[in-house]
Amino acid sequence: MSKPVLVIGGGISGIQATIDLAKHGVEVYLVERNPSIGGKMAQLDKTFPTLDCASCILTPKMAEVLRYNNIKLLTYSEVQEVKGNVGDFTVKILRKPRYVDWDKCTGCGTCTERCPVKVPDEYNVKLGQRKAIYIEYPQAVPRKALIDYSHCLRLNPPPDLKEKAKGKPLCGACEKVCPTKAIDYNQQPEIIELNVAAIILATGLELYDASNIPEYGYGKYQNVYTNLEFERIVSSTGPTNGNIIRRSDGKPPKRIAWIQCVGSRDVRFNHYCSAFCCMAATKQAILAKELLPEVDTTIYYMDMRAFGKGFYEFYKRAMTEFGVKYVRGKVVKITERQDNKNLLLFYEDTIHSYMKKDEFDMVVLSVAVRPNRITAAPVKTDKGGFIQIMDPYMDTVTSTTEGIFVIGGAAEARDIPDSVTMASSAAIKASTIAKKCVVEQTIITSGERA
Amino acid sequence: MIQEPRVGVFICHCGHNIAAKVDVKQVADYAKTLPNVIVSHHYVFMCSTVGQELIREEIKKHNLNRVVVAACSPSMHEPTFRTAIESAGLNKYLLEMANIREHCSWAHSDKEAATEKAKDLVRMAVAKASLLEPLEEEEFPVSPTVLVLGGGVAGMRAAIDLAEWGFNVYLVEKNPTLGGRAALTGWLTNNRRGADVVNNLINKIVDNKNIHVFTNAELVEFSGFPGNFKAKIKVNPRFVNEKCILCGECEIECPIEVSNEYQYGLSRRKAIFFPFKAAYPPIYVIDQRVCIKCGECVKACQYGAINLAEQSLTLDLNVGAIVIATGYDPYHPPKGEYAYGLHNNIITLFQLERLLDEDGPTQGKLIIGGAVPKRIAFILCVGSRNTTPSSKNYCSRMCCTSTLINAIKIKEKYPDIDVYVLYQDINTYGNDETLYEQAGEKLVKFIKFEKPPTVDISPEGIVIDVYETTIQEEISIPVDALVLSVGMVPRRDQNELIATTRASCGEDGFIREVHLKLNPVEAPTHGIFLAGAVTGPKNIIESIRAGSAAASKVATLLSEGKVRTEPFTANVNEERCSGCRICVGLCPYKAISLREINDRMVAYVERALCMGCGTCSAACPSGAMQQYGFKDIQIMAQVVAATGGGIK
Amino acid sequence: MSTNNYEPRIVVFACNWCSYAAIDLAGTSRKLYPPNVRVIRVMCSGRVDPQFVLEAFKNGADGVIVAGCRPPSDCHYINGNIKALRRFTLFKRLLEELGIEKERFRLEWISAAEADKWVRVVNEMLEELRRLGPLKAEAVSV
Repeated sequence: MSKPVLVIGGGISGIQATIDLAKHGVEVYLVERNPSIGGKMAQLDKTFPTLDCASCILTPKMAEVLRYNNIKLLTYSEVQEVKGNVGDFTVKILRKPRYVDWDKCTGCGTCTERCPVKVPDEYNVKLGQRKAIYIEYPQAVPRKALIDYSHCLRLNPPPDLKEKAKGKPLCGACEKVCPTKAIDYNQQPEIIELNVAAIILATGLELYDASNIPEYGYGKYQNVYTNLEFERIVSSTGPTNGNIIRRSDGKPPKRIAWIQCVGSRDVRFNHYCSAFCCMAATKQAILAKELLPEVDTTIYYMDMRAFGKGFYEFYKRAMTEFGVKYVRGKVVKITERQDNKNLLLFYEDTIHSYMKKDEFDMVVLSVAVRPNRITAAPVKTDKGGFIQIMDPYMDTVTSTTEGIFVIGGAAEARDIPDSVTMASSAAIKASTIAKKCVVEQTIITSGERA
Repeated sequence: MIQEPRVGVFICHCGHNIAAKVDVKQVADYAKTLPNVIVSHHYVFMCSTVGQELIREEIKKHNLNRVVVAACSPSMHEPTFRTAIESAGLNKYLLEMANIREHCSWAHSDKEAATEKAKDLVRMAVAKASLLEPLEEEEFPVSPTVLVLGGGVAGMRAAIDLAEWGFNVYLVEKNPTLGGRAALTGWLTNNRRGADVVNNLINKIVDNKNIHVFTNAELVEFSGFPGNFKAKIKVNPRFVNEKCILCGECEIECPIEVSNEYQYGLSRRKAIFFPFKAAYPPIYVIDQRVCIKCGECVKACQYGAINLAEQSLTLDLNVGAIVIATGYDPYHPPKGEYAYGLHNNIITLFQLERLLDEDGPTQGKLIIGGAVPKRIAFILCVGSRNTTPSSKNYCSRMCCTSTLINAIKIKEKYPDIDVYVLYQDINTYGNDETLYEQAGEKLVKFIKFEKPPTVDISPEGIVIDVYETTIQEEISIPVDALVLSVGMVPRRDQNELIATTRASCGEDGFIREVHLKLNPVEAPTHGIFLAGAVTGPKNIIESIRAGSAAASKVATLLSEGKVRTEPFTANVNEERCSGCRICVGLCPYKAISLREINDRMVAYVERALCMGCGTCSAACPSGAMQQYGFKDIQIMAQVVAATGGGIK
Repeated sequence: MSTNNYEPRIVVFACNWCSYAAIDLAGTSRKLYPPNVRVIRVMCSGRVDPQFVLEAFKNGADGVIVAGCRPPSDCHYINGNIKALRRFTLFKRLLEELGIEKERFRLEWISAAEADKWVRVVNEMLEELRRLGPLKAEAVSV
């Protein structure tokens, strides 16, 4: 039997690499720090330029992960340490306590209904709420409940309530209602150690903190949104059930502006281009037009980077078929009107060469992405924090350590087709290494099931 | 014997995607009234774990033996639901899907009409489902051999990855050398050239015993099925064999001189020639299109390496899969487009790359029209983004970065040259943005246009007139040399490829993948994989990655050592068959023959060869030939239900 | 049925690889068209037996479309579309003899990328059928 491969990160890149490896006949561990796999793509409503619904094409892949016997899925887990060399890496993984026995949990959701604690929901970028015991999102894989320790009244009671209770345990609502007796308040963190032949880093991207950019007032002006927030708002599974409404008054906007290159291509923040935001904004403007046919949509851009297959055609279609407007120019500043919370944009139109002011009732910032930080793996990162590829022309997915590969957003800001291409690319290299490392017994830990 | 049908109907909301336009509850209630339907349900996401569990539970609870899922297109979730019903103990082909999303809720605006249509689609699905039978797939061993078509970076990388994994690889290249266009791409970064990348790959290929290279060779016939394709390769004569030591004596004597395509026409070569420094195999070649067989080269060769009587040979290969990595052509501007062809100092970006390359015709010196230009301009989007009448619709992705790399290189070598870049949008996506910054630091002048510039040839030289948007003025730029940053177009011979392999192309003319987002290296036909720029413009890194990705997908197909047949094959009812032979001639895969059964000649279907088109079934006069999953009675039931004939 | 609210019903036989995918694409790209069509999926247009078409007319279809991959080379099964072309060229002549106007039947080549063409074909045929009115019952009493 060949030695297993470890994939770190369960977004679309990690999922694709895992499935390819499994089909190559190699044993794979897929480690994801969140409770469910799916990554950023699971938060998207539709994808460009096909307007396919993201979950429609992603969910089957997520479900596929559970179908292979040679895939061991370890969600809500973090890699703490990586030692060794190609063919022989020793990895320590922390399995965070879920306080729910996942072998017993059926994902019925009864516990979440009864839980009294409401917490901002990370899946909906805190635009909605979830409970302290929760299932990450409806199509989560695995679809299992877990308790968020920091907000649970039972596990981590606020000091005042604790005092009042005089030593008696608090709440326990979930334990009372769980039909399968899956709640386990005593679950402890667990560290497991694996020996693997190769590692694929697919740790992905996060949004740059838009409130660092002073001139756009994100966090200060209510009707300024990030692109990921807007994605959740237009999504039928999002906090507004797919209704585009303003944070300030709950009314649908009449004019929406998108501002490109927020935090990217900007020497103050990040030099690089985030690669997909031009098309993502174009897609979002089309979705806005579909949901609110009367809405006026304008995209402020520096260069329209419609470079991928079908992108330029999509951009033209947005303009001609959907009436999305494009203004070439950088928005210098946004101010908020006190009376109606509308937003005034000051910008230079570089095609007509004049300074202008315009009023919108919603603004979406196409915020830069940046790599999630990973400290455990012995690899070098570049200025932007992306994991460095040793030699992009010779070994296009190999990190600075032989046997450790890097794919998707962890290596560079990339769109989905480029990410899955990198994923398959790393999979063949990792399985080639794994096949040469023969061991007697492989999988020692059981992973998550449906 | 078919059991009494017990159908369960499961209707998906797909969030709002279906439920906003189709009254799913009404459809579910309606489904209950249909013949053979035992239960019907609607749920927000049938494809979710919970939705699938609901289906499994209901199958067990009601002893269902047929399932209808009304949701998205079968191309989306048919495999998902097949697996779901299989895990509940049903044969997975006892599923029928009603496409009420793509064909209904997404296509129609009127809720009432869409709901009525959804009911009809469910009725049709139930009618067919009631007549479905369990089907079995057969397994066949596969050939652990892969044909890679195209010896550019994508094809070479695919071949190397496949060979290292353990497959036997035939790498077939149409030209006399490996390397493809990347070998001619000059500078990629400050200190690396396309030739370096190509050399690195060629060295790996030479070292690998699992790779069999055929240059000067082409695919002429391709048939069979995934795991067991038959490929006929024609190897054209090279007329020079391994005894060649690259001394070059033959070349000196050869009287025929033609334009050298390996320098994009910037220099000339002989009929017997060696393509470029790193070419592989390291053997001279005679271009049979221009050779007059005078025999001068044979006389000049001291090693007896030349044989003008060499014939082409054909190879019959049995391969498990094919990787198509045949690349692209550079856009060729028509004469007069930006004055192309009207002045010697107007060249394409591909030609400029040759000039700046140390292996190029000027050994890396920027000599255009006999001198080093003082002012040079690049025009971007030539042939791309609809800029001129003959331009393509799409963006060619790599020209901006290539232009900037070369502009920076010029500024490094010749700091005094004025370099202008005329552009619409600069597409230095991702980390390549640093090139844009560097070019700015090196004082490359960027000129933004909305309306494509015009180029005039005057006695003084080349003059570019352009409306500069930032200063809102028409400006004239006299230059000594003009570089047209031309894009990438599908290969001229692509139609032959399509005809041979049954690959197909999309609206942009490039070969189409099965799904743009998630399956970028797989063709719609199973067993055919795509790598590099054959599916659309890509840079070298992206092409190499696609080569590896295609190799990975091949391994997912062949690693098990076996593949399963199509379930929807044809099948003969031997008692009904009259042996008329109509089907034998119709079958495109030669899967049908006649054989004797009980002293009668009847049709016989070789299941491994049958791809399940059903044309034999449509033509069979006696109804003896039936296609599994698409039998006459099953389709007829759908027809009756579709026309409302099934409603009492 | 009065001709005022006459809604023609069209039965479509679409090959799995090109035309069915094009109809999917029309939906995915939200290209709207009238809901009068009912699509039956077959693997190849070469699978469509003229008998299916007659059965559709007999049961009340006002129009029938057989849609396949574009000749010559788009067919997933080498040349199933050409076989359909041969069969239905002959069949069209037969239709007229049966008293069914030839406009009620169309053989169309729609590639997987041609969602627009699909929408156009549906609209054109509907217009034609509205002009012709419902199919006469005696024509299909075959």
